[in-house]
Amino acid sequence: MSRVPRLVLALPKGRVMEQSLEVLRAAGLRLETGTGARALRYDAGDAVVIEMRNADVPTYVELGVADAGVVGKDVLLESGSRLVEPVDLGFAACRLSLIRPRGATGTIQRVASKYPRLTADYLRRVGSGAEVVKLSGNVELACVTGLADAVVDVVQTGATLAANDLEEVDVLLRSSARFVVNRAALKLKHETLRPLIEALRGLPGSF
Amino acid sequence: MSRTPPDGTRYVLPDAAARRIEVVAALRALYGSWGYDLVEVPALERYDPAHPREAQSFKLSDRDSGVLALRSDFTPALAQLVRAHHPAVAAGARRPLRWQYAGTVWHAIDPELARTREFTQVGLELIGVSNARADAEILHLARESVRTVGLRPRLEVGNPGFVRALLDVAGVPDGQRDALADAIDRKDRRDLADRLASFGTGREGVDRALLAVPDLYGGIEVLDHARQVAPWPAAQREIDRLAGVLAEFEDASELMLDLAMARRLSYYTGVTFRAYTPDFGQPLLGGGRYDGALLPAAAGFSIGVERLIQATRALPPAPEPTPRVIALDDPAARVLRAAGVRVVRALHADLEGARDEARARSAPFVLVDGRLLSVDAAGADAAELAVLSALLEGAREGAPGASDGDGPRGDP
Repeated sequence: MSRVPRLVLALPKGRVMEQSLEVLRAAGLRLETGTGARALRYDAGDAVVIEMRNADVPTYVELGVADAGVVGKDVLLESGSRLVEPVDLGFAACRLSLIRPRGATGTIQRVASKYPRLTADYLRRVGSGAEVVKLSGNVELACVTGLADAVVDVVQTGATLAANDLEEVDVLLRSSARFVVNRAALKLKHETLRPLIEALRGLPGSF
Repeated sequence: MSRTPPDGTRYVLPDAAARRIEVVAALRALYGSWGYDLVEVPALERYDPAHPREAQSFKLSDRDSGVLALRSDFTPALAQLVRAHHPAVAAGARRPLRWQYAGTVWHAIDPELARTREFTQVGLELIGVSNARADAEILHLARESVRTVGLRPRLEVGNPGFVRALLDVAGVPDGQRDALADAIDRKDRRDLADRLASFGTGREGVDRALLAVPDLYGGIEVLDHARQVAPWPAAQREIDRLAGVLAEFEDASELMLDLAMARRLSYYTGVTFRAYTPDFGQPLLGGGRYDGALLPAAAGFSIGVERLIQATRALPPAPEPTPRVIALDDPAARVLRAAGVRVVRALHADLEGARDEARARSAPFVLVDGRLLSVDAAGADAAELAVLSALLEGAREGAPGASDGDGPRGDP
């Protein structure tokens, strides 16, 4: 692999990072895990890995600082970036849902979310005139405290909702981790990326 | 009053301004050498709700309560110019117009992700002809544009007509076409499969073909794969069209085909392309054939000059051009300058002083009394000396009496 241009991969911190490294290794890349030192950018062997917040992955890949990356479909759609997304990796599956206090029926006036763009699109689609409030942290809190009468957030198991007496009333979209690629890189580093994409697609759970 | 210019606009300081002029001039010269004439169109346009970039245009109110728009794209403006001055071509007459343009465009967008709202665009259009040789000409010029600034070009070439043909064969309902084409363009097979499952073409072969399109990218072999994947005559015709263009292209090795390119499906009708360069993650230019969209037959591309310059930042700085000649003879110097030779007027009035200047500036020749003298006694520059001397000789023959001395054919 030494003569082929090396890939730069943008990976989100945390659990998705571990799962991403796992599938990339399974697809044949020789990748070491960071040495534990808090290096944000490290040489992992067959690729240089840059570690970042998941919402920043689309930016790095769109501007070509990274050739490819792994990011949730929900985060990708919220970013508005147009990237090549040739593989659905299948993991980190979740729903992006509209959530209300259990039993609430009145008109929704205000919706809080970490996904203001997708929330506004959704409200337009269903013909609601509710306003959108962008929050960064624990969005359920907005519902519980009355800041908003509904929230749009990620639901994985529904345990948090049950604990706070909230219920999922509509599903905006289903998300999972995507392998995303910069369009220029796909053409310029074709020899490396094409086989990698094919190998990733061949893994169980991928499409 | 804020000290900064409006969002998405910027001041350009001397070095950057000089660089921009230099790049624009180089591109203009390139297009000129291929026979493309410069045209200018107003930066103020009448607002048109049907303009392809309507949503991105800055609107201004005119004093008579009309609405104007700042130019957001040259192509529609050039199409207007054709309609006004070449009505026959606008009506479908096949007569080639080769036009180039350069100027500022404005986009009323959120200035996010390294996008500015005011930038310089250079480009060209080949209007009034639609065939493989015309498409190949545009592709050649796209490649040469990238080379002109010293970058290595890599062209991504596709034909949205192929995807359009498949959507027709599949009988995709109107409301789904754009979403499906978009999924193909992003190579998002998951989205594509979900959408196909939701409305069902009912034809397994077509569904399978559509799902295979995102992977139809690579070298020239892609054309054969595409022929196997999509055996329907309409799709085969579009593959043949692309093959026809490649056959007219001098060297297809710098091309990467991608039959999943399917953006602006209702605008582009034939070959479309983008140019990239290694180690730069954004396209340098883009364009294609848009017959019937604005004019019956037209193709072209445009370059964002600021981005092109940004891509050249990693290049080693160009050496400062050295003068070729230090001149003591003004009329003869004029002849050489007219031929594009860099000629510096000597600051000394005597030959020895001029020779010293030539050595100091690494210029190989001194021009005195209508003759060129080599500074280097070894005669290493003999070939160039012969060429430049011939230029001077030619000027003497072409313009009798123009130079002092003893007439047009003084020397045998």
